[in-house]
Amino acid sequence: MKRYRRLTDRILVCIVLLAFWQLGSWIFGTYWLSTPWLTISRFFTSIWSGEMVRQAGYTVEEAALGAVIGAVPAIILPFALRRMPTVIAILDPFMIGGYGLPKLALAPLFILWFGIGIESKIAVVVSIVFFIEYYATLSGVRALDTKLVQMAQLVGANERQVARHVVFPGAVPNIFAGLRIALPIGIAVAVVTELISSNRGLGYLVQMGAMNFDITEVFAAILGATVLVLAVGYAVDGTERILLRWRAPVESLQQQISTT
Amino acid sequence: MTIAEQIIAAPTGPLISRRMTILLGRCFFAALLVLGWQWGANAFGAIFFAPPLAVVERLYEMAISGEMFWDVWQTLRVSAIGFVIAVVLGLSVPFALRLSPRITEAVEPYILWSQGIPKYALAPWLILWFGIGDTPKIVIVVTMTFYIIFYNTLAGIRAVDRRLVNMARIMGARESVVAREVIWKSLQPFFYAGLKIAAPHAVGATIVGEFLVSTQGIGYYIEHARELSDTVGVFAGIVIATAVVLVINAIVVKMERVALAWRPLDRDMGR
Amino acid sequence: MSVPLLEVRNLAKRFPSRQGREPMPWVIRDLSFSVSEGEFLTLIGPSGSGKSTLLNMIAQIDAATGGDILFAGDTIVASGAKVLRPGLDRRVGYVTQDDLLLPWRTTIDNVLFPLEVQGRLDDKGRAHAETLIKAVGLSGYERYYPHELSGGMRKRTSLIRTLVYDPPVILMDEPFAAVDAQTRTQLQEDLLRLWEMGRKTIIFVTHDIAEAIALGDRTLVLTKQPTRIASEHHIPFRRPRNVKDIFALEGFAQVYERIRAEIQ
Repeated sequence: MKRYRRLTDRILVCIVLLAFWQLGSWIFGTYWLSTPWLTISRFFTSIWSGEMVRQAGYTVEEAALGAVIGAVPAIILPFALRRMPTVIAILDPFMIGGYGLPKLALAPLFILWFGIGIESKIAVVVSIVFFIEYYATLSGVRALDTKLVQMAQLVGANERQVARHVVFPGAVPNIFAGLRIALPIGIAVAVVTELISSNRGLGYLVQMGAMNFDITEVFAAILGATVLVLAVGYAVDGTERILLRWRAPVESLQQQISTT
Repeated sequence: MTIAEQIIAAPTGPLISRRMTILLGRCFFAALLVLGWQWGANAFGAIFFAPPLAVVERLYEMAISGEMFWDVWQTLRVSAIGFVIAVVLGLSVPFALRLSPRITEAVEPYILWSQGIPKYALAPWLILWFGIGDTPKIVIVVTMTFYIIFYNTLAGIRAVDRRLVNMARIMGARESVVAREVIWKSLQPFFYAGLKIAAPHAVGATIVGEFLVSTQGIGYYIEHARELSDTVGVFAGIVIATAVVLVINAIVVKMERVALAWRPLDRDMGR
Repeated sequence: MSVPLLEVRNLAKRFPSRQGREPMPWVIRDLSFSVSEGEFLTLIGPSGSGKSTLLNMIAQIDAATGGDILFAGDTIVASGAKVLRPGLDRRVGYVTQDDLLLPWRTTIDNVLFPLEVQGRLDDKGRAHAETLIKAVGLSGYERYYPHELSGGMRKRTSLIRTLVYDPPVILMDEPFAAVDAQTRTQLQEDLLRLWEMGRKTIIFVTHDIAEAIALGDRTLVLTKQPTRIASEHHIPFRRPRNVKDIFALEGFAQVYERIRAEIQ
């Protein structure tokens, strides 16, 4: 029974939110706010016609390529440097600077260098994903329980085996935590860079809609981008759940707040 | 060296101390970056890589003319407003949610899902509504920064020792007193950790917002320079942006240290 | 008399001091003892007696400052050696206080881990692992992850993980200290039963006098720092021992008292 109450509660909230939207639309006019129905139907017709899917495809392509190019070196680097703490220390302030600087602020620079095509978007995604994933992996490698390493050495493991059987599996949760943050951001960042300057992708759809004063188009494109971001997030969660079955489960938001 | 060998070698010191090595290494790497920059300017031409000297010159010009300070001020002004609003919301929403587990459960998925909306994508629509001015930028900054404060406050509330809360309640304290005395105090390290992350984020969000809502500020300067293919300007703008973010970060770190100086245990949260 | 399997001579340990500071006090100084093959030796010491440090040095995960460790008469470790060889090339197994199971491996995979690493993962090895799993009552839990097991079950897994690759000497550092009394008695019985099967050489460290008497053939009492051997006690009780009723055994109280007086 309780389970259904939670579901109905949530549906209720959804209805309330949509009602507010519709109300706003009546007050301020469809021109300014579109309506729930218009937006959702435009969203689906755009999918049906293929337009939404195609533009989304461009955005995904940018984010995916950027994620791979950014994440792979970011994951390898901490492992390679594991035995050289001095090098890590030398790099630290530069990495922190790179991490702290809003990489999106570099978007104009990348557009200047690579043009308004796909390369500039990939570059921005790479720059963001790299730093997030570097720190995530580094924390995983650092958090290594040295006693586990000792145990492995006691039973005869050599350096390579230690890295493979102890260090790497221990860092995987952190690597995934990084991906969980970085990949959705990758999508969002690709969209924003498209907004600044592009002729393809979901961000381009948003910009086009705005230029044509077609708010419905703008909202439908934003809806598409949101769905994409959330889908990527769920995909990472799902993969994580499968690969990291060995971990103890974590509390949900509700459990977190309401138990105090 | 294996870990084992490192352990044995530890007592004897190396020729140059480790700190010296790190310092030298950093200087070396920084020099390498600058040289790479100069090489890039030579190899790829001034369109792509503004020569370091030209950038320095431009920064000097901007400082003299006062343009730099005006842009920085505009950006900081907007960031500050957005930041304050985000903090107020980010603090009050978790406390409000605390009062009703049922509402929390009902609202939870929407809070999570709303994070998926690319906030900057709202910029064109906000411009249509509010015109080109401060408001769209402030809205964007608030939406970007809110979640950081929100989740950190949440983590802080969750980390509160429940036994302390129960003890306060048993003694007859009202909810508001419980909230103030026990929860807020325990919350502080998390809250400051959130501030530390959120402040530079707010500035960064403002700068990016200025790309899209072009009127003034550092972001406007960068994007404007790009549109004019003024590479030197782009580089100069990025240097300013980086400097501002790093300074803000340093200030917040300092403030955190002062505010939490009373804590006996140096529990470094959210470094 | 045959050569003892493991001999510790004048072992000394002092942690290195920081540059310019005074030298640290000796943790272990002039500690000597030996273990014969197939012997179950227990070591008792108060807390702060450097018990873990001693085992760490025998297991070669920590370096000795002075003294020698001999294995089957050969000097394996002389003090001042530059290179540590953890586990003495698998001659010494070590069951630590923390079970140190790899959280991402199932029970069976954790038990097989040493064999995998040593390149000995064949049918014989797997069969041996299965036998051990059955022997400690973990049948059916092979595919469980450590977080799904109770503390006692994790201890058992940690124990048979060391036994599976048959090291000649096995060190145990208060392995049962962190579990409740009932589980501890059960684990002690399991241990003795397994030991009877293979008659390995065991050096078992504990702070619990009753445990030391119940399990060991011989007990050594350690002093506080700087630690050395205070005394040696031969345990006169026949095997197989009944751990649950050890207190009722005739002569137990005397042995217990004798040892307890030493430690005061």
